[in-house]
Formats: sequence, structure tokens, C-alpha cells
Amino acid sequence: MKICLFLQMALLIPQLASGQTSIKTGQAGYESHVRPFFQKHCVKCHGPTKTKGNINVHALNGDLAAGRELETWESIVDMLEFGEMPPLEEQQPQQAEVQAVIQWIETEMRAQIQNAPQLASAPRTRRLTNVEFQNTLNELLGFELDIIDDLPEDPELHYGFNNTAGLMRMGPEQLDRYLEIARKAMRAAIVAPEKPEPYRKRQQWASIGRDRGMALDELGIWGNRRGSVAGGMSMRELPKHGEYRLRIQASGIVPPGFTEVPLKIDMGTQPGRTETPFKTIAELYLSNTPDEPKVFEFRGRIENHPASLVRSGKQGPLVRDIAIKPRVFFDNGTNNDGANYANVRQLAMPRAVINWMEIEVPVVDIWPPQHHTAILFPSPLKATDEASYVGQVLERFMSRAYRRPASAQEIDRFAKLFNIIRPSADSFEEAIRETLAMVMISPQFLYHTESSPATDEHFAMASKLSYFLWASMPDAELLDLAAKASLSDDTVIQQQVQRMLADERSHAFVEDFTLQWLSIRKMLTVPINEKLYPRFLYRVSVGETKGTEVPYLITVRDYMMQETIGFVSELIRQNKSVLNVVDSDFAFLNERLARHYGIEGVKGMKMRVVPIKPEDNLGGLLTHGSVLIGNGTGTAPHPIYRAVWLREAILGDHVPPPPSEVPALEETAGDATEDALSIAQLLARHRTVESCNDCHFRLDPWGIPFEDYNAIGRFQPMVPKDGTRVSGFNADKHKDLAGYQDYLDSINTVAVISRARVPHGPEVSGMRELKEFLLKERKDDVVENIIRRLLSYGLGRELTYRDRFAVDSIRQQAIKTDYGMRDILVSICLSDVFREETRHRKGKED
Amino acid sequence: MTGKSWRLSRRQMIKGSGVAMALPYLNAMGNTNGMASGATGTATTKMPKRFIGTYISYGVYQPDGQSGIPRKDKDGNYEHHEWSWWPQGNPGKLTSFNKSTAPFEPFKDNITYLRGLDHKGGYKLGGHSSGDVFLTGADMAEIETTNNISIDQVMANHHGHETRHASLVMGTEGGTGSYLRTKTMSHRGPGKAIPSMHKPDEIFNRLFNPYGDKGIEQVRAGLKRDASILDLMMEHSKSFHADLGREDKHKLDEYLESVREIEKRVERTRDWTHTPLPEVDRDSLNLTVDHKTGPAEYIRVMYDLAYLAFVTDQTRYVTYMTESEQSSSSELWNYANYVLGYKGATHDIAHKRPQVISGQWDLWRAENHAYFLKRLADTQEGDGTMLDNTLCLWGSAHPHSSHSGLNYPLQLAGGKNMGLKHGQLLEFVGDKKVPMANLFVTMLHAMNIPADKFADSSGNLDQLLRV
Repeated sequence: MKICLFLQMALLIPQLASGQTSIKTGQAGYESHVRPFFQKHCVKCHGPTKTKGNINVHALNGDLAAGRELETWESIVDMLEFGEMPPLEEQQPQQAEVQAVIQWIETEMRAQIQNAPQLASAPRTRRLTNVEFQNTLNELLGFELDIIDDLPEDPELHYGFNNTAGLMRMGPEQLDRYLEIARKAMRAAIVAPEKPEPYRKRQQWASIGRDRGMALDELGIWGNRRGSVAGGMSMRELPKHGEYRLRIQASGIVPPGFTEVPLKIDMGTQPGRTETPFKTIAELYLSNTPDEPKVFEFRGRIENHPASLVRSGKQGPLVRDIAIKPRVFFDNGTNNDGANYANVRQLAMPRAVINWMEIEVPVVDIWPPQHHTAILFPSPLKATDEASYVGQVLERFMSRAYRRPASAQEIDRFAKLFNIIRPSADSFEEAIRETLAMVMISPQFLYHTESSPATDEHFAMASKLSYFLWASMPDAELLDLAAKASLSDDTVIQQQVQRMLADERSHAFVEDFTLQWLSIRKMLTVPINEKLYPRFLYRVSVGETKGTEVPYLITVRDYMMQETIGFVSELIRQNKSVLNVVDSDFAFLNERLARHYGIEGVKGMKMRVVPIKPEDNLGGLLTHGSVLIGNGTGTAPHPIYRAVWLREAILGDHVPPPPSEVPALEETAGDATEDALSIAQLLARHRTVESCNDCHFRLDPWGIPFEDYNAIGRFQPMVPKDGTRVSGFNADKHKDLAGYQDYLDSINTVAVISRARVPHGPEVSGMRELKEFLLKERKDDVVENIIRRLLSYGLGRELTYRDRFAVDSIRQQAIKTDYGMRDILVSICLSDVFREETRHRKGKED
Repeated sequence: MTGKSWRLSRRQMIKGSGVAMALPYLNAMGNTNGMASGATGTATTKMPKRFIGTYISYGVYQPDGQSGIPRKDKDGNYEHHEWSWWPQGNPGKLTSFNKSTAPFEPFKDNITYLRGLDHKGGYKLGGHSSGDVFLTGADMAEIETTNNISIDQVMANHHGHETRHASLVMGTEGGTGSYLRTKTMSHRGPGKAIPSMHKPDEIFNRLFNPYGDKGIEQVRAGLKRDASILDLMMEHSKSFHADLGREDKHKLDEYLESVREIEKRVERTRDWTHTPLPEVDRDSLNLTVDHKTGPAEYIRVMYDLAYLAFVTDQTRYVTYMTESEQSSSSELWNYANYVLGYKGATHDIAHKRPQVISGQWDLWRAENHAYFLKRLADTQEGDGTMLDNTLCLWGSAHPHSSHSGLNYPLQLAGGKNMGLKHGQLLEFVGDKKVPMANLFVTMLHAMNIPADKFADSSGNLDQLLRV
């Protein structure tokens, strides 16, 4: 047998190499070419004796009809296409041979997928994610009610998306919470008919005390003394429900060299008193002087700011207590520099002046409020024929809640429900609240619209678009178009996608998508080494909470999250090429971030597009602090984490987790992370252990060029010698920024090593060459990966081998439009795969 | 734990007064409703049998314990180390306690250490993910990819109806987590992870203040109405269900079962409105502490809630995932940092095993668990203490080195009245190796639940029981 095969090979393969590049389709081609190819190049590791990577080719018979095997075929074709297999140390096949085999597999797969379009369709009945539920609720009610913390946390999937049927499960506890939230929402949405007497409070601060530094109405970066506006306004026994209106009169003192005073207003209670302490209700950028004070007005829901209970007086009763605190959040990176914060210093920095603030809860200008009449609309029927009125109320509300017209039968059920509730309810409003709360826990509300059999193609499309691009329900315009049966028209879809992406609701999509795709959230929990990076975060310096982060300050880390989300937003907004994720000529920064990265000339706290030059060592996502910190240890960079990130998030590979019982590299560290082995030593150890080397030789080299950036995401041409990372730090001597710089200079004495030979590629030195390599050699993979991530998020399911050609056709389209990200989103929404799943809704097998 | 003595003293208060008026089993005054009804019981009154499973993540410190089994010296004795998680090297009667096991010394007659047990299904998942199956033993890598019923829920299915709540599921992170990243230890069955509760005030309200400020008649009327509403909701949802394809029908079954489950719960709650609620002083606990700002206090408040749930007989089955594996996007990633000032993620400890830090970390966790055991041991119940009527399983599915899934560190405490024999370090290695599920079979036996098999069990560990 072996000899026979060998003969075949000797005869046929050279023929291919010398020009003939196609193989007969079907079984014949398999036997004549593909099987011999496998025998020669693959079975040694993927055959009867070894099954590396869980792939086994000797059992394949060339008949792709068997559905499960198609996944194996796809893995094989991927490996061949990328040149990952056969491994470099093995004999390499001729390029033409490989191409021919790839072509054969692709042809067979395509035929297979076309012949059996309904094969292996995954369930699509998936509930809304918590983010989608929150946004849908707000859109439905017409005001913002923060309920996301009341829900059991959604699962997460690093680099993937949690909006799939597999992850969006339902259980009694989940449903319980939905019911609680629905009742809470209805309590807020539908008010009692009698106009209540609002709670009002006003507080003012005099412009006195300037002789002692700042006047009482002034607020600096580090606050102000007792009795000043820095203490804010505290309120007792505020109503629990309703919209509040806060008005403040404010202005800014902007010393030379500054542009404005950024001021945020927080409302809530001290941490430790409630689960949800202070929440920011507004951010302002003041440039009007105290001679021209302006009045600013903010509205929101008081339900979002739970009060805490405190004793009034020593033995007094418990009362509900809440405060409004203004804070100046200007930060140019020197706030935390260890120098003293005396008045003199405050006076040289931006300050806000607040003359007075006043609050009113609830707002009763129009009573009942608009969100109430949107549900309980005025009608004479209400008094004359309650039953018909309720029917109309239900029809209106349910058709919005269900994101499609509610059927007569559906309305009738809830009318029955109302009749059960009405007799025991205290009021008509109470009965309606409870009835509508039930609408909000019905599957038509909780599950994605397209999963309901009663949804027609157009309404399904309206919801698909809105949950993709807004992470929320469709608005009136989309529902109107669906009602007119227009959402199958390419032009209409195109217009809608453009409109939706221009709408600020699309921010919810960009945030939800980006944070999951790039696995960004983990950066929030990386323990930053305080000794090494004492200025990175703000720590409480004394007291019981010493060493913990100061609450309510916006830190550079928060801006890094905004940087990443904002960067992706810009690609969409400006329709820039998705290849900008690898490298770009702009960054998305504010003054604090620019200072962190060492970019000059950026003033103010607003995030904006900043042009950058190659020598800034920024550009693309690879150098974002969020990425570099999240994939580091807080003390040192972590080339393996960073390599995994690059392969998963950017190149679209799946990197398997280390298997059980792989011995740990215990020698990699001593008692503390400070005296870890050098990266080179660590990786050398990986290569000496065979079980590690199998995977790590394809992984580690990707992480080495990232060594150009330290654990807090800064470019670092020089690094400490091993084992001396934090030694020699002297808190007194290295107190201020200059002293700290001296310290850094004294330890960073060795040039960083960031040169590595990338797997199946050339040697690259540092991040800049890595990016050049990626843009030159791996462009298609990057584009395909981004298309796959977007499509997977948009469809709410993981892609399979069946989507291979759909992805490819979107990619072909993208080439024509220079990879513009907004164009890609449009192509996805127009693609068959996106629309098919709504078009062929009926008639699936039962 | 430092500088918080005022809170500790408030805790003492609970012990003294707080719940005393409602302790059903103190002084053997129990009945099956769980409430002292005036009829004085005798010492022979049937005591409740309870279970708590508590999980710690990222393994423990074991000298040279790559595989979870210490190394042997040339004489064939296990080497011992002052920071070892195991109280002593060789199996046998518990004699010595070392640095990180010291908090358990007072309970040495009430605890057993079990070495060499693990779940095969967990091993296949890899070290950081085997926590998923700690209480289920499911073969998630191969067949039961959606996990399976956990041991506490088996118990709850048998005896859960005897208390107001069938079980209580807690976890520091809350929710269910996802495949290979669980945040709960309890599962009703395949694909039915029970989200863990992580907010102390919510747990408190559920246990002791479920009616809010409503009067009992109002609550009953509400529940009656809820029952008829849910009936209609069920009907409504079925019509949705009927038109779906097979796979999707299956998905929506989750919803229908949830409605059914809530219906049952409404019924149950209604029945229990005839039993007065225990009165527990809310002020005696710091219910707003969170695991970020006060990790030690948070864990102890959670343990306090478990204790209060037991002592007032609101439930008999509790699970508490004090830490979860793969916690990179939660504060647990930094727990060791907050607690010990360790300059790295907690997860690093599992990889690097710096001896002293790792040992201190174990000590901190031991102190917390011992705090709970002490509360049980200090509470008289019948002729003995609450500890004698409570099985407390504590451990990790992640022994020592970073990616290992063999030979879990396990400690079983309490249950003397349930037939448990204690005071030993038992070892199941080499030809004595058996599945950890055998232990679960025996725990079921101790609960008076007839069972021959659980998950991949090959028998039982009834040698733990007194004959």
C-alpha cells in the first residue's frame, strides 16, 4: 500500500507542479490528488498514530456530505492557505500543489453548503443581553432607568460576543429579576393622576473668603475648605420616584495656559452606605468667566440615585439622605505628582465658580408627564368604556414592546389579564402597571424579535438592524418602514444603516462590540504596581481605605477605555479603512492621555482626534494603553498575553488554552513579580519543554515586539536590568515628578529587546516593524477577522464553516471600497447571510 | 480585618440577641415547619441535616506538589512544609497543624482532610476551568457540555420542601458566568446554572424580609393573583412556543420552565406565609460592604448570612463560591493584592507559587472559613452543636500548579450527628484512587438520601461514616 501510494505521488505530483493546477472535483480528485497529498505531508502527525491539534486526516474519505466533517475540512483549508502547515521543519510541498488542494476543498465545500442550506441550523431564539435589555427599556419608556446592576451578570466570552443563543439563557432567577424590573419601570412610567407637590431645595454660596485663598463659591481640583461649594448640597427625604430637575449657575476661572474648566456633577451617597454610590449626572466644560455666569439645567430620574438611610440626630428616626457634589476633573498628569496641594497651587489651576444650585423632584410642569401619556393617552373612552380603552392602550404599548404589531389574540390575552388584576388593584393605574409589567416579561419582549414566528420579514429586519447598530429596539422610523414593507429594499436598507450609524445611539453598539471584541475590560482589574508606577492611579494615602483607589476621580485608565472605543467610532464615522486598527496617522486623545503617551500640544479634557507622526510610537489599536495594560501584569509587559491578544483580536486565530497538567514554569519568578526572570529567559524555557513548545513557538514571537511598551502602555526604549525593577526607590528623594524621572533614568539602563522572528515570517524589530509586516503580509487576515467579528456580533451567533463564502463576498466588496469600516457595515447589512435568516423564516424543518 | 473591631463587636451582638428569638433548633425546640411553636421538643427531636459547599480558586500551596501530592523523602515519608495547605505530611490521625492550617486546630476532632480525590471531567477541562464541575462532577469536555446537576441541588430536590427556601446559592462575583468560567457552583441540571447571589442586602431581604413593607394579607392576596397571572402568561408563551422550529423550541423551554418554576415558588411562598418569618436585626450586619472595598468583611458577611439562613432554618443547603477561576475581568483578580498587598494578580500566585505569599493567602482563606465553622460550633443545637448537623465541604478543583486538575485540596468538616467520623487525613492515591463523586454518594447517605451513584462515582466513601 505504501509503495503504491508512493508511486502515485511520484507520478502525479510533479505533473501538477509543472503547470496543471486543478484537480477533478469529487471523489475522483480526492483519490487521485488530495489523499496522496495528505499521505505525504499530513498523516505523520494527523493520522492513526498521532492526532495533533485534534485534526485527523486519515479517516476522511473525500465525501464532504457528512456535515460534521466540514469543520475539519475548513480547518485544513485554513492551515494550508496560511501556510501554517506543514510545519517549517518538515518537507514543504510545492506551492502549486497546495493551491490545487485548496481549490479542490473549497469547491467541494461550496457545493456542499449550497446543496444543503438548512443543514445544522443553530437555534436563534436568544434573549436580549443585559445591555440590549437596558437600552430597549429606556427606548420603550422614554427615559433612562438604570437597571443593569439589578440583573444577574451576563456571561462573557473573551474576543467573542455574548449575544448568542448558547450564552443568553433563561432561568427562574433571571425571569424573577425581569419581573422586579418591569414593575419598577412601570411604577416610574405611570404616575398617579393627582399632581404632587414637588420637593424643592436651593443652596447658594457667597463669593467671600478670597483673602483666605479661594472664595466659598469656588471649587478647585483638590476641592475647597469646609462650608464651601466643595461640600455640595445634601438633601433629606427626597421623593423616591420621578424626574428631577437640577439647575446650577456656574462659571470658570481659567488661568493662562488652560482652556476651560471641566466640571462634573455627581449625585448619590458615600460609598459603603449603599450598593450604588455617587453617579455622575453631567459633565460641563466651562469657559464663561464669573462676570458672565450661566445657568445650566439637567434632568434625570431620581430612581437612579438611591438614597442611604441615616439617623437624624443621635436617637432620631432613619431618614433618606443623598447629596449632590460638584467636582473639577481637570487632570494634566501633574495632579498626582506628590507636591503639596496648597492654595497657591490651586489658584494657578482651573477652578469652577458655582453661585447656587437648586433641585426639584418630581418635575410637574406638565402633569401627567409625557412618558405617562405616551402609554395612558388622553381619551374620552377612558371614562365611558374602560374595556375598549384598555384594549387600545395594550395595542399601542404591546406593538412597541414587541417591536411588531401585536395580534388581536395577544392583546386579548393581556386584556383578560387586566381583568384579573383590576378588582384587587388600588387604582386603574395600578392595574395597568401590573398588566404592562407582564407584557414586559413575555417572551416576545425578552427574546429577540426575529425569533418570534409571528414577526414578518420586515419587522424582523428592523430589529436586526437596530440590535446590531444600536444595541436597542427599532425607533419609529424603522417600524414605519417595516409597516410599509420597505425593509427588503437595498436602497432603503443602505439609507437606514447610514442614518443609524450617524445617530448617537450607535455609540452603544461601538462600545458593546469593541469591549468584547478586544477583550478590553480586563485592563480595569490589572493590579498596577504602585512602587513602579506611583502616579498612574490615585490612591488614598491615609485611613482605613489606605492604598485603595480614590473613588470618583476619572483616571487615565478611564480615558484609555474611551480612547479605544472612540478610535473605533472614528473609523466608522469617517469611513476609514479597518486596516487602521494595525496602524493609523491619528490617535484619539485628551490632555491627560497625550501627556501619558508623551504627545505635546493637546489641551483640555475632551477626547478628540489628534494627528500623530511615526516617531510618536502610537497609531492603531496595538499601542493603546487599554490593550497593553490589559495584557500585562501591572508590573511588566506580558508577551504571551499580548501575543494571544494579537492572534485572537487582530489576526482572528483561535489560541487554545494551555491543557491540563502542563507543568508550570515555576522558576519564572521568585517571591515577588519584581524579580521575575527576563522575558528572553522565560521564553527560552518554553522552548526547552516539548509540551510547551508545540504551541508556544507559534505564539511567543508575536509578543516580543510589544516589549517596546511597558506595563502601563508607555513606549520604553530602555528597561531595567533583570531583578532591579523597583530597587533603589526612595520615597523622599523621588517624591515629585522630576525626582521620579531621575529614579526611572537610574533603573532603565538597558536597551529593550523587541526583536523576534514571527512564525512563518521574517525577523521584525519592535512594534513599528511588526505593524509594517502585518500590513504587508497579513492584511487579508486582519480584514477578514474584522468582518467576521462584526458579522458574528450582528447575527448573534458564532460563525461556522457555512459562512466562509459569505464572509469572502463581503471581503471582496470591502476591497472595492478601500476597506472603509462604515461601508463594511453597510455590506454586512445588505448581505444575504444577514437577510437570509429573516427571509427564510418560515418553512424550516420542525 | 485590621481596624474594624467595632464591626466585630456588632457581630457579637447577633450572637447575643439579634436572632435569638427565632432560633428554631436551639434548645431542641424544633418541629418540621422550622419554627418553635410552643410545643417543647426533646433531645431526640429530629435535627436538620445541612450542607454547605465553599469554593476557593487557583489552588493552594503544596511544597513540590505539582500533582497535588507532596513529595516523599528517602524513608518514604511525605515531606512536610510549614506553609503546606495540608496540616501534616503523612495520612492518619490529625496531629499537627501548621501556619496556614492553624485556624482549624480548634476543630481538629470535627474535620477530615481528603487527599487524592478529583473529577475526571474537570481534569479534561484544564486547570483554570475545572471549578465548573466542582459540585457536579460532569464530563463537560466530552458529553455533558452544559454541565449537570450539582450535589446541593440533589439534596434540595429531596428535602428542600422542608424549609422556606430549597437552597441558597451565593458567589462573590454573582451570576452564572459562562462555560469554563463559572461564577456559581449550583446547577439544577444540564444547562441550568443557578445564578449566584452576591449582594448581601439582597440575600438578607430574600431570607428575612421577603415581603418588604407589605402586610401578610396583602402579600397573600398578591401571591394569589400572581398565580392566576402566571397561568395566563404560560398560555400566552405556549402559543409563541408552538410555532418554533425544533432547536428553538428547545431554547424557549428554558423560558417556560422558568415560568413554571416561578409558579411553584409562588405556591410555596404562599404556603410559607403561614409560618412567621424569623426576626433578624438588619443593623447587626454591614449589608452594603462589597468585595472590592472590604474583601475580608465581605466574605464574613456572606458567611454570616449562610449561618443565619441555617440557624433560622430558612434553608439547609448553601453553596458559596468565595472566589472564581478565570476572574480576569473582576476584582477577584486582585484579591490577594487587597488582602496581602501582593504585587500581582491573584492568578499569578497559582502560576508562581511564591511560598510565603501563597501560604499567607491560604491562611487568610482558612481564617475566613474557620470563622464560619466557629459560628456553627459555638451554636448549641440539641445535645451538640450546629456543626454536628452540618456538612461543610471546602476546597478547590485546582490543586497547586497552574494548569493541574488532579488531586483536589479538600476539607470536610462537621456532621458528627450525621454519622461522620473525623480527625484524620485520608489519602486516595495509587491503587486506592477513587472518583471524588464517591464522596458525594456518601454525603447523600449522611443526608438520608438513598443513592447508589452520582456522576462518575464507582462506589462510596462510607468509611467516613461511623458504623
